[in-house]
Amino acid sequence: MTVTIARTLDDACAALADRPDAVVLAGGTDLMVEVNRGLRRMDDVVALDRVAELRGWDRDGDELRLGAATTCAELAGDELAPLVPALAQAARTVGSPQIRNAATIGGNLATASPAGDTLPVLAALDAVVEVRSVHGTRDVPIDGFVTGVKSNALAPGELIAAVRVPILDGPQEFLKVGTRNAMVISVASLALVVDRAGRNVRVALGSVAPVPVRAVEAEVLASDRIDWDAGAAPGPVVVDRFAGLVADAARPIDDHRGTAAYRRHAVEVLARRALRRAFTAGSGVAA
Amino acid sequence: MEVSVTVNGTVRSADVEPRTLLAHFLRDDLGLTGTNIGCDTSSCGACTVLVDGRSAKSCTLLAAQADGAEVTTIEGLAGEDGLHPMQQAFHECHALQCGYCTPGMVMAAVSLVDEYDDLDGDSVREGLEGNLCRCTGYQNIVKAVLAATE
Amino acid sequence: MTDTLDATSPFAGGIVGEARLRKEDPALLTGEAKFIDDLALPGSLWIACVRSPHAHARITSIDTSEALATEGVAAVYTGADLADAWAAPLPCAWPVTDDMKNPAHHPVAIDKANYAGDIVAVVVAESRYAAADGIEGVVVDYEPLDAVVDLADAESDRVVIHEDCGTNVSYDWALVPDPDAVDAAFADAVHHVTETYVHQRLIPAPMEPRGVAAVPSPHNGDMTLYSSTQIPHILKVMASLTLGLPEQKVRVIAPSVGGGFGCKLNVYAEEIICMALAGRHGVPVRWTETRTEAAGSTIQGRAQRQTIELAADADGRLTAVRATLLADMGAYLQLVTPGVPLLGAFLYHGLYDVPAYAFTCRSVFTNMTPTDAYRGAGRPEATYAIERAMDALAVAVGVGPDEIRSRNYIPTEKFPYDSPAGLIFDSGNYQPTLDRAKELVDWDGRRAEQADRRAAGSTKQLGVGISSYVEMCGLAPSRTLAALNYGAGGWESATVRILPTCKVQVVTGSTPHGQGHETCWSMIVADQLGVDPDDVEVLHSDTAISPLGMDTYGSRSLAVGGTALWMATEKVVDKARTIAAHMLEAAAEDLEFAGGVFSVKGSPDKEVPLAGVAFGAFTAHDLPDDVEPNLEAQVTFDPGNFVFPFGTHIAVVEVDEETGAVDLLDYAAVDDCGNQINPLIVQGQLHGGIVQGVAQALWEDAVYDADGQLRAANLADYLVPSAAECIDMKLDHTVTPSNSNPMGVKGIGEAGTIASTPAVMNAVVDALRPHGITDITMPASPMTVRRAIEVAGGGAS
Repeated sequence: MTVTIARTLDDACAALADRPDAVVLAGGTDLMVEVNRGLRRMDDVVALDRVAELRGWDRDGDELRLGAATTCAELAGDELAPLVPALAQAARTVGSPQIRNAATIGGNLATASPAGDTLPVLAALDAVVEVRSVHGTRDVPIDGFVTGVKSNALAPGELIAAVRVPILDGPQEFLKVGTRNAMVISVASLALVVDRAGRNVRVALGSVAPVPVRAVEAEVLASDRIDWDAGAAPGPVVVDRFAGLVADAARPIDDHRGTAAYRRHAVEVLARRALRRAFTAGSGVAA
Repeated sequence: MEVSVTVNGTVRSADVEPRTLLAHFLRDDLGLTGTNIGCDTSSCGACTVLVDGRSAKSCTLLAAQADGAEVTTIEGLAGEDGLHPMQQAFHECHALQCGYCTPGMVMAAVSLVDEYDDLDGDSVREGLEGNLCRCTGYQNIVKAVLAATE
Repeated sequence: MTDTLDATSPFAGGIVGEARLRKEDPALLTGEAKFIDDLALPGSLWIACVRSPHAHARITSIDTSEALATEGVAAVYTGADLADAWAAPLPCAWPVTDDMKNPAHHPVAIDKANYAGDIVAVVVAESRYAAADGIEGVVVDYEPLDAVVDLADAESDRVVIHEDCGTNVSYDWALVPDPDAVDAAFADAVHHVTETYVHQRLIPAPMEPRGVAAVPSPHNGDMTLYSSTQIPHILKVMASLTLGLPEQKVRVIAPSVGGGFGCKLNVYAEEIICMALAGRHGVPVRWTETRTEAAGSTIQGRAQRQTIELAADADGRLTAVRATLLADMGAYLQLVTPGVPLLGAFLYHGLYDVPAYAFTCRSVFTNMTPTDAYRGAGRPEATYAIERAMDALAVAVGVGPDEIRSRNYIPTEKFPYDSPAGLIFDSGNYQPTLDRAKELVDWDGRRAEQADRRAAGSTKQLGVGISSYVEMCGLAPSRTLAALNYGAGGWESATVRILPTCKVQVVTGSTPHGQGHETCWSMIVADQLGVDPDDVEVLHSDTAISPLGMDTYGSRSLAVGGTALWMATEKVVDKARTIAAHMLEAAAEDLEFAGGVFSVKGSPDKEVPLAGVAFGAFTAHDLPDDVEPNLEAQVTFDPGNFVFPFGTHIAVVEVDEETGAVDLLDYAAVDDCGNQINPLIVQGQLHGGIVQGVAQALWEDAVYDADGQLRAANLADYLVPSAAECIDMKLDHTVTPSNSNPMGVKGIGEAGTIASTPAVMNAVVDALRPHGITDITMPASPMTVRRAIEVAGGGAS
């Protein structure tokens, strides 16, 4: 086994070009667990945690570029939380303080677990993933990045350099149901973002399909029925129909953490709560 | 490979297998056995140490990743004047029984108190969610952490 | 005198009864304490175990060649290779019936694996990493067989796991003192409640995984076993028998032990394997369990199905209780596996005055990890059954859950109480614990709030649940154990030694692993001798230092080991009195001993401090005739009866009917363990115990799939609660001394776990009763609760 501690992005790309089968190690919160449990052997490792270029974030107008090594603790922190509140809420539900100090947004994307907490938020935000290799940089839209359960669009030799998300004017919610309060792997999650300028509502679901799914019909209904000028909460009939359409978008399976039926039910409950909260006085679009 | 880490203020180096975890480096190579290992899924927090001032689970970090870093372990807390205030608070509040989770719990608590200055019972509970204790039911741990902030 | 001691207590020195901080803490707080994996043993070999991935499979071949070629691997052993290393199979010390089926359980399986985790080969290597590499090179061919994971399926013998037993039924056991009386009571009953409950499997999960290090002395034949165990003394006997080693050459040491909760009350394959291989290789041989490995290497708990029937008159007064169990032994019988149901067998009538009683139990083998004692062992199951059923009876009678209990509590004037199961309950006064617990949770206020929420149709409903309990602990009178076919006694030993400088050494046969024995034992002795508790050193957990002992489990340490200690101290004081009388030229009966000084009654100037006596006993220059030098006494105490702590716990929960999530809002516990040596320790035991019981109700579930694979094998999936799910509990106590021992004490280590599970489940069911829900399968996870609401046709989403 070899471990390469990359110091620059070029170093990292070069090391990966050299050893295309190498495991890319960032925060290690998923990977090292698999290694410790003997589920995965690491032959060659390229560690990214010392690559300064992957850390930090930049704001360019209404766009936020998050370095791949931005940690969940940073996402949840005071600087980023006001810009992408749903991402902050999702990051706060990841693991525990120690995990949030280590876990990165790039790692969450690369692991591509159906239960990855930031993924539905990134899907709702139509995030763009910046992928880098010795051959250059390419952009991959989020809906093409996660390709299946724990699989992604990275080609050998590629790594995630950054994620770009829009800074929207409007409330955002991330809600999650687990098997208990803390440190829990989600059984179902939902991200809802409101784009007041674009007059639309976007909803994505986690843990109810192999990849994060958008509830497009529900989005159309909500965007259509919200009184954007008044910023008022939609009536109970609309909320119920919205929640029903969200549940229809889920394609859950049974596993040891939850049944498909419960997951579908849970996203329906979460959808109702998220829409109500987003348009409750004080956090409404008009606010 | 050669790994050099500043542990509790002293530079410590060792030649380790690349796959060596930081927890094993501390325990097996440096003889600092206060940092315990309680699981293999980074769930229990018994192995919590401070890496560059922030709490980290040393069972999910390679020693190689800590090369050049500053690490504080439970052995680095008590000074010449005796126990660190957090250790003292744990003692006075009966916040430990078997003591196996205690080093990690104390390190997590130190990091928590360091990071936030307006902690209450609920925020302490949330802040310690990554550290499992099977003996105390957490009541006296929460009490101790709050006592240490006073 | 504090309110933790009754006026009749023998303590008055101002030490016992105080919330004294623990002397164990500094070593544990600083990382100085040495747990098993912290021991430095140069030159050690490490083992790694190849475990069957199949729950049930024939081993058709094992190829070890690749493993042997792995760097650092010293040897690989299969079950056949080691068949001659064992003088006997792994021990089961509790053959509860004469015809109990007990299949041979070899440390390394030979022909067949009977659960996922059964060891099929052992790799010995120079490091733990090399040993882990080595197991990847062991190629085992299996012929998978159908797995038995359901208890009814096991009972049917569709697949017989142990062919030589001919059946999956290990034993049938009954306790029915008067069958006719039970039948008559049910025939005459106005109310007949029948309830069925399931106790899921639980993983004890002490924070320290198990570990073993066997250190041989090849030339003189000594063998020292370090193990993270609760029972070094029992282990020494059992390991000697299992390996055919001369017991006098075997020493067992439990270093700092990071919790046990019953799962370290055992004799495990890895302990025996390390000893055998240390003997073979002539160097220390070690093993440290990983958490995921523990799913198959360490026993699990509970795993029972219960039917309980109550017969009651028109007022709801109980006339009979009949309980029937089907208990899951797992794949093999470990040390006390078959006895666990028996530890509950006497308590299915709870703390209620019931004239007629029947208990029967059938135990079956399955293809899952063996079960054995887990905190409470049998008593949580019994308490759960009666306390859930009492709520059902309250509904049937039309009275509140508090009232149904008050009507049935054993009246205080009946103590000592001859129980219908044949025990004698030492002391009790139950009603005050209920009254106080109700005050602590504002019972009336919560009931009003519940009514308001129901009336408002809130999606968040409130539930309030009571659990009153009595448990039998302080295991145990040896004669009672004999009647139950247990293979050992229930005594405990203590030695008290006053050193020449008047410092004190105490040697105890109890084996602490977090309970604070050093602190409490010091307090007792200090109080009796009039010395500073810091001048008392407590030695334990090493069979060379403490050769006699029966160790720590079943809330026995204080009531049995503490009593031995108290008696040994009294004995030392008696001897010191004889010497002091000689020194003061007075009659021994004319001396009083207080504050560490002997003085002659009526002549206060004639006195000698204990220090003077101790030094005199050491120099032995002028001792009375027939008095041996030194101040030391040893006592082995065999209790005449169990002790019966009791109390009432009340849980308040909120159920989110939409998601099914249950939140614990409030929890009150009023417990009575007689005189309290150190209330700080008592409270700590209760806090932890309560949370462990709440965890059974709400979170923990060692669930297996149909193929016998554990679906919650690690701490990510097996939900040991964190601080974030738990709340501050409100504790209070009453003090009703036991008459089973001179200190008037009762055990408290398991009480919290015994009481809390039914309190929480009664609260959850109480919240959901408007839906017609009468039971929720544990754990009451969001999904389970939600499904129950849907099945009941309520709670439109």
